[in-house]
Amino acid sequence: MDKNIKSGITFGLIGGFLTFLFGGWSVAVLGGMLGLGLGLSLGSRFERRNPLQIARASFMPALVAAVILVGLSLVQNIFILPALGKARLFDNQVIIANTIGFLVVLLLTIITCAIHGLSERQEGIAKLVLLAIVIITFPFIDKATGLRWSAQVIFALIFVILGLGLNIVVGYAGLLDLGYAAFFAIGAYTTGILSSPQHGIYMNFWLVIWIAAGIAALWGLILGAPTLPLRGDYLAIVTLGFGEMIPVIFRNLTEVTIKEPFTCWILPGITNLFGAKSTLACITFFERQDLTAGEKGISPIGRPSLPFIGEFQSDNPIPWYFLIIVIILLSIFIIRRLRESRLGRAWMAIREDELAASQMGIDPVRTKLAAFAMGATFSGFAGAFYAAYIRGIFPSVFDFSASIIILVIVILGGLGNINGVIVGGLVIMTADRLFLPALKDFLASLLTNTILPSLAGNPVLQAAVKDNANPILYRFLLFGLTLVIMMAVRPEGLIPSAQRRMELHAAEEMAGPVIPEETAKPNAMTVAGKTKAAAKKR
Amino acid sequence: MLELKDVHTYYGNIHALKGVSLTVNQGEIVTLIGSNGAGKSTTLRTIQGINRPRSGTILLEGVALEKLPPHEIAGRGVAQSPEGRLIFPRMTVLENLEMGAYARKNKTGFDDDLARVFSLFPRLKERITQKGGTLSGGEQQMLAMGRALMARPRILLLDEPSMGLSPLLVELIFEIIQNINKEGMTILLVEQNALMALSIANRGYVLQTGEIILSDAAAKLKENEMVRKSYLGIE
Repeated sequence: MDKNIKSGITFGLIGGFLTFLFGGWSVAVLGGMLGLGLGLSLGSRFERRNPLQIARASFMPALVAAVILVGLSLVQNIFILPALGKARLFDNQVIIANTIGFLVVLLLTIITCAIHGLSERQEGIAKLVLLAIVIITFPFIDKATGLRWSAQVIFALIFVILGLGLNIVVGYAGLLDLGYAAFFAIGAYTTGILSSPQHGIYMNFWLVIWIAAGIAALWGLILGAPTLPLRGDYLAIVTLGFGEMIPVIFRNLTEVTIKEPFTCWILPGITNLFGAKSTLACITFFERQDLTAGEKGISPIGRPSLPFIGEFQSDNPIPWYFLIIVIILLSIFIIRRLRESRLGRAWMAIREDELAASQMGIDPVRTKLAAFAMGATFSGFAGAFYAAYIRGIFPSVFDFSASIIILVIVILGGLGNINGVIVGGLVIMTADRLFLPALKDFLASLLTNTILPSLAGNPVLQAAVKDNANPILYRFLLFGLTLVIMMAVRPEGLIPSAQRRMELHAAEEMAGPVIPEETAKPNAMTVAGKTKAAAKKR
Repeated sequence: MLELKDVHTYYGNIHALKGVSLTVNQGEIVTLIGSNGAGKSTTLRTIQGINRPRSGTILLEGVALEKLPPHEIAGRGVAQSPEGRLIFPRMTVLENLEMGAYARKNKTGFDDDLARVFSLFPRLKERITQKGGTLSGGEQQMLAMGRALMARPRILLLDEPSMGLSPLLVELIFEIIQNINKEGMTILLVEQNALMALSIANRGYVLQTGEIILSDAAAKLKENEMVRKSYLGIE
């Protein structure tokens, strides 16, 4: 069968089965994504030629995908809904949604495909415009269709920033950091402490976010200084330790006393030796202050506000969405510049070979510290945004699993590649926050309405199925499984950096490890041969 | 130009250099020959600051180097084409050469230097976009030397440039070393291939188990009975 039609079928099936979970208007939104994805993957296969020809060539696969999507969506309406115990829907809304879904798949697939027929530069611009339209319209479409995905997408975008930050440390400088969530926690707690009524300090969010980033960077330096002279595995273990310590510290900062040491301990100590009492009053900054409220966490936390929009509200995700998009764009801009800078090249050299890098005049410790601090800065931004968005922070959020999820985002997306990390973050977090909960609800309704009644004759099996059919229970199992499969099938990540891709290709082409041709030969022959030749000359 | 005075270096308890003293003058090729484990590479590593000497001084134009970290020594104009080459395997040839110029604050003349390196090593120009790790051994050696030259060093340290290369390539590499020297580069050359090294060097030192046992003009060393027997394999 034609390869393009096959892609159309695959994409259509994926989109179609997702409509099973989400139902309603999701067919239109999923159709849009399906169209973009199919268009991009088909487009790169065609040779660069007339856009119209490409559009014509992409019509059949697009049609196949659209038919499958809408077909499955209708199956959902007719067969799945009753099985879930819901009434069959066949009103105007369903018809409109499916029609829109159908058209959107066709249009977007063909348009994104046809773009490939433009010149390379025009194609780049057109893709950017398309991306911008998708990004800008998404929250409005989401609101209009009542899907309510924005809140979870914002959450995913927070992890995209974290991934971008960790990518500097792991992808660029090659330092395995297993405790990255610690800096996320530091950014979030800084925000919490500085803008919560619990402490009576209300700093403006726009100021706090910079302070949070600054303090996270500072802690990056403080934690990095003693650890970075270590290499490889040792560094990983030490960062793991720090990652465990930070949440514990925040959990226990519930009775903080800060006194000025001279008047409170040293002077009284000395005067006590002579049997007298200090006359100077002890200067106390804090007396048994509760900084973090332990397990209860800090809540509520101040929110950003802007003229015209006013204070950002929990029930309206749109301003939050655009705020985080701006932060991400800013981060991408800064990280791109960093990568091309002198510092960026020093990171690459350190990652390649630390000894050789130091012989090029690169200070390894300072370069690595800079990577740690820069990485921490971005998690500071993410932490500040997270604290304000969620309105409450709890130490358990920042434990080891958070560090690992961020690391998985970076590796799965494509180590060292900005686009890869963004895709990785979106895929993993939307799978975690959108797909799994939807699958859980879907299975739960399916069980109570269809499967469990049919198992009534076997109460043991019925109980077992009932207890175990919650995919959220298997969250980490699924994570792990994904990671294992990915590493086996596509170790370079979803969108690898050009460097890694070339490497893997080179290895495939040469069919074996790259060994310089001469090193394997023994030297004795050469020396002997040379000597004889030299002797003859004389 | 470069002067080592009574340098002692240890690996843990192993006394690797037992009071090495040597000088390299401006514009010279000085070679350090010796058998496996004599301490040739250790001497270079000590100059580079990778191994710290326990006592003794290392002076580059009168400035003490022995307490500086490797990157600062590199910044002062000591460039090395290290043993095992240590090129950046995942960077292209051009990127490797760019890294060579990293320590230079002043980037003027970068293109001229690049052109010079390519005229010395035309093979590198052919491979300019290839990854360092995919080059052959000889090409990697050329890349390591070219990268060292990109730093515009005051002195070039070459560690076993002939190692693992075919006789033809060894000849080519030594010719290039001579050419670099003719352009005014001071070179300290460490070699196992004593015959080749002595035939291009001005002066030579013979290192045996961490001690300099002989030093003379290269031509005289070549005629020396002991050197001929132990290092040139000529009865």
